[in-house]
Formats: sequence, structure tokens, C-alpha cells
Amino acid sequence: MSAILTIARREVLSFFVSPIAYVVATVWLLFFGIVFFWLALMFTQQPPSANTNLIQSFFGGTMLFYLPLLVFSPVLTMRLLAEERSQGTIETLLTAPVTETQIVLGKYLAALSFWVVLWLPTLFYVWIAASTGEDVLDYGAVASTYLGVFCLGVQYMAVGLFMSAVARNQIVAAMLTFLVLGGLFIVGLGTYTSTGDSMRAVFEYVGLWTQMAAFAKGIVDTRHLAFDLSLTVLALYLTVRVLKTNRGQ
Amino acid sequence: MIQVEQLVKRYGERIAVAGISFRIEPGEVVGFLGPNGAGKSTTLRMLTGYLPPTSGTIKIGGIDALSDPIGARRQIGYLPESVPLYREMRVEEYLRYRARLKGVARAQVSKRVDESLQLATITDVRKRIIGQLSKGYRSRVGIADALVADPPLLVLDEPTAGLDPNQIRQVRDLVRSMAGKKTVILSTHILPEVESSCSRVLIINQGQIVGEGAPGELRSAGQGAQVFTLEGRGDRERFESVLKAVDGVKAIIDVAAMEGDGLRIRIDAAAGPVDERIFSAVAAAGLVLRGLKREQASLEDVFAALTTREPDVSAEPEAKAEPEAKAGEKS
Repeated sequence: MSAILTIARREVLSFFVSPIAYVVATVWLLFFGIVFFWLALMFTQQPPSANTNLIQSFFGGTMLFYLPLLVFSPVLTMRLLAEERSQGTIETLLTAPVTETQIVLGKYLAALSFWVVLWLPTLFYVWIAASTGEDVLDYGAVASTYLGVFCLGVQYMAVGLFMSAVARNQIVAAMLTFLVLGGLFIVGLGTYTSTGDSMRAVFEYVGLWTQMAAFAKGIVDTRHLAFDLSLTVLALYLTVRVLKTNRGQ
Repeated sequence: MIQVEQLVKRYGERIAVAGISFRIEPGEVVGFLGPNGAGKSTTLRMLTGYLPPTSGTIKIGGIDALSDPIGARRQIGYLPESVPLYREMRVEEYLRYRARLKGVARAQVSKRVDESLQLATITDVRKRIIGQLSKGYRSRVGIADALVADPPLLVLDEPTAGLDPNQIRQVRDLVRSMAGKKTVILSTHILPEVESSCSRVLIINQGQIVGEGAPGELRSAGQGAQVFTLEGRGDRERFESVLKAVDGVKAIIDVAAMEGDGLRIRIDAAAGPVDERIFSAVAAAGLVLRGLKREQASLEDVFAALTTREPDVSAEPEAKAEPEAKAGEKS
């Protein structure tokens, strides 16, 4: 455990001294700030509806929530292992008395921390919505919304870490992550186009939009949690395998 | 401290390490000598657990490195050839991280970091960012990293590559000061390095150990043939014809004219008291002999002899070109 924390701590430190952290954080906050502003503007011009509220729409109600995440997530994870390899530091890391699993978990923990830190400022939006909104905010739904956001991070960061282990360099790692996450997202959109009931059930199961929309309404579906968890475990397991087989190459 | 048996590393068809075996006792400082591409780094990378061997066994301090890699790695401080470091970190920050990663107890970290900074003589740059340091400092940060967990075995892959002469001396002094306290294995293709700091040398070429012994032993092993330098005065052609007639003289390497009609002649000779015979032959011919000296075979000659030797005397001519072809590759 101590080795995992040591690795995670170094990763977080290095991330937050790199310009990339500040570029991502700035663009991230700017983008979600604008989206929140638009949505708030829209809600003030509409009569309040029982079906939806501002926070619900912000998290998972629109395409504007997912598209940037598909771009931001690869940027958060691309360095993790690809940079160790390109800098050669993977050699000192793999010859330290730590296992591949500890390395992968340390890196993963660091990536999850980036994710959480980047979402923290959005609590401010919740405060704005709560203090100015006409309807009373359902804090249970807010909690499940954040659980949904966290679950999204849990799988996105795991996929990104795996791609960072596979790819030759950071750019390729980012591209591959984007392709996989984007692919999953598009498959999920099948929910809205497919006609067959069984097909729609499958799409709903893997679809992130349906998942986020449900979480934002306060519905925590264990099928979604099971999907997130299995995708994460698979990605982390594969990352460990890749590290083991790629030793010294 | 290290026991290696029949270690093999194969990359597809290419054999990088072809079944080497050796033992290193605790406290020894052993030089791993060979031309580029000989398999030095590959062997060291297998010792440190970075590369899995194709076959063979490695024991580090009695621990089987293949069945208990973590236990074996705990005993090793390793400086890779390329000195990989996190450029964005500060020196002290990096060493603290490495100490924690290598399992140094939290309470001991500061003490260990201070000690390794001192040993590597980089205390003055402890607050600097690694990426802004010169190459000499960076490689000493790598050495400090190898020392930080106070391991019984140090594996240094070309520790003096890219350093200036002063820094090279510091690193050699550091290695020498480890003798008796730690087991050190260092690789190099620079011979004076081995002569100045190692108690034993393993010469490796084309993935095999081709020579082994103390630097002094190896030097005398290279003296099967000898080279004499003769200084004399007289006609050059007469000198050459007289010398060539002497039993044991294989060839005249070169003849240099000196002041007046003096000559300096270098002679390649077989083993034995050839110098005595040269002396009397020159005297009998009425030529003036000013001096006759045997050149001491340097470790460099031994190295050249061992690493350029054909694997089999009766082998086909291509065998001769092979060492040169391999010299270009990186080990």
C-alpha cells in the first residue's frame, strides 16, 4: 500500500507542476462555466418544470457534457506510462522493489485524483443552483450525480491508463483513449436509434448517456455500476499484463 | 553476492547473451568490460530484474532473482546506462521518492537522502530541478539514487560515460571507497577505469565471457607475445636485415629516424629471451645499440587480443569481420 501511495503521490506532484495540468484545468473550467451559464440562462427564461432542473441538465442532460470529457480524459491519462517509457524512467521504476500491480494501482490512483480535483469546482455550480433556484434541490440526486461522475472517471481513467501502457508515445495514447471512449459513447447512442428491444437493452447497458442521465435523476442502477466496475477491472488487469510482457522492450 | 549460471538472452534469432556464468563475492568491486554491443547492459539488466532472461539462473545474496524478484531487487542499487530521471522534480524530492519506493522507513528517509547526497557530492544542488542540471550532476543524482536505500549490491552501468575528467575521478574514488563495504559491479569500455577501481575484471564479448581475473593477472596473460623497442645508430637496412635474422623476431613493426643517424625500431617478438639474442646479434654485426626495452603489455592490448580474437582459428573468413559489425550495435 505504501508503494502505491508513493507512486501516486509522485505522479500527482509531477502533474501539477506541468503546464498541461493548468491548461486542462483552465479550459475545463471555462468550458463547463460557459455550459452552465447557457443552461442557467435557458432555465430562467422557461417556466420551472417538474421533469428536470438545472443541475440535472448540466450533468448528463446535454451532449455538451460528454463531448469535452471525451477530449479531456485522454489528456489526463496519456502521460501516465507512455512518458515513463519515452523518458526511460520505466527502467528505474521496474527495477525498484515494487510489483507491476503496485505501479498500475499507484498510477491509477493518481489519475483518479486528477479527475476528482477537476470536478471539485463544479460544487460551486450546485451552490449557485441551490441558492438561487426556485425549486428546492434534491440533495440525494446531487449525491448520486456525483457518484455517477466519479464512476465515469473510474472507467475513463482505467481505459486511459491502459492505452498509455500500450501506446508508443503520449500522442498515440491520447488518440487511442479518445477512440475507445468515443466508440463506447457512440455505441451507447444506439439506445435512441435502435428499434429492437433486446438491442436497446444492450445499448442502454453500455451507454454512458443513459447511465449519467439516470444518476442525475437520483437513480443508481447496479447494472451500470457492474458495467463500470468490470470495464475498469479489465482495463487495469490488461495494463498489468502489458507492463509484465513489455519489460525491457 | 551474485551467482549467475548459464544466463542466456535471446531476441528472436539474435543472441545477446550466450550462456554466461560467474560468481561475485561480497565486497568485491568487479569490472564488466567489453566493446559496445558485447552484452554488458543486457546482462546487468537481467541481474537487476529489468529484463527476463531466456534461460539460466540468477541469485542475488542467496535469493533466486527469478522466483523472488522483489526480494532480489531490494538488495540492488542500480544506475542504468541512460541515467533516466524525472526531469521536472527537484533532486532532494526525487531521492526522497526513490527512498520511499525502495522501502526505506519514513523516519530514516531524511538521513538516507542526506547521506547519499554527500556520497555523490551533490549536496549543493539538492534544491535544483533535475532537468536544469548538467550531465555530470545528473549522473551523480543517478548514483545517489543507487545508494539511497543503502543496498549491499551496486550495479552501475557505465557510471562515468559523459563525465569530464574531474567528475570521472570523483566517481572512481567513490567506487573505490565502496570496496569492502559493498559489492560493486560496474560496466565500462574504458580500460583505465577498470585498472583504477576494480579488484577483478570480467571481459565479455559477443555475449560470452572471454577473460577473467585481476587486472594484473590479465595483463600478464597478454604477454605471450612481446614488443621491444630498440634504439640504435647505423644503417637502417642493415639493422632490419640483422634483426629479421634473429630467432624469435616475428616482424619489425616500425622504424623511426631520430636525431643524427639514430633509429628507433619496434619489434614484434615471440615469447622467450629474444631480447638477449637481439643484443648479441646487433653487437656481432658491429651496429651501435643504445637501448633495448620491453614494452609492458597494457590491459588495452589484452582487451584487444581477447575481444578481436576469432572464435575458432579454422573458422571461415567471415568470422573475422563479425566483431566489427557488432561493435556498432548498442548493448
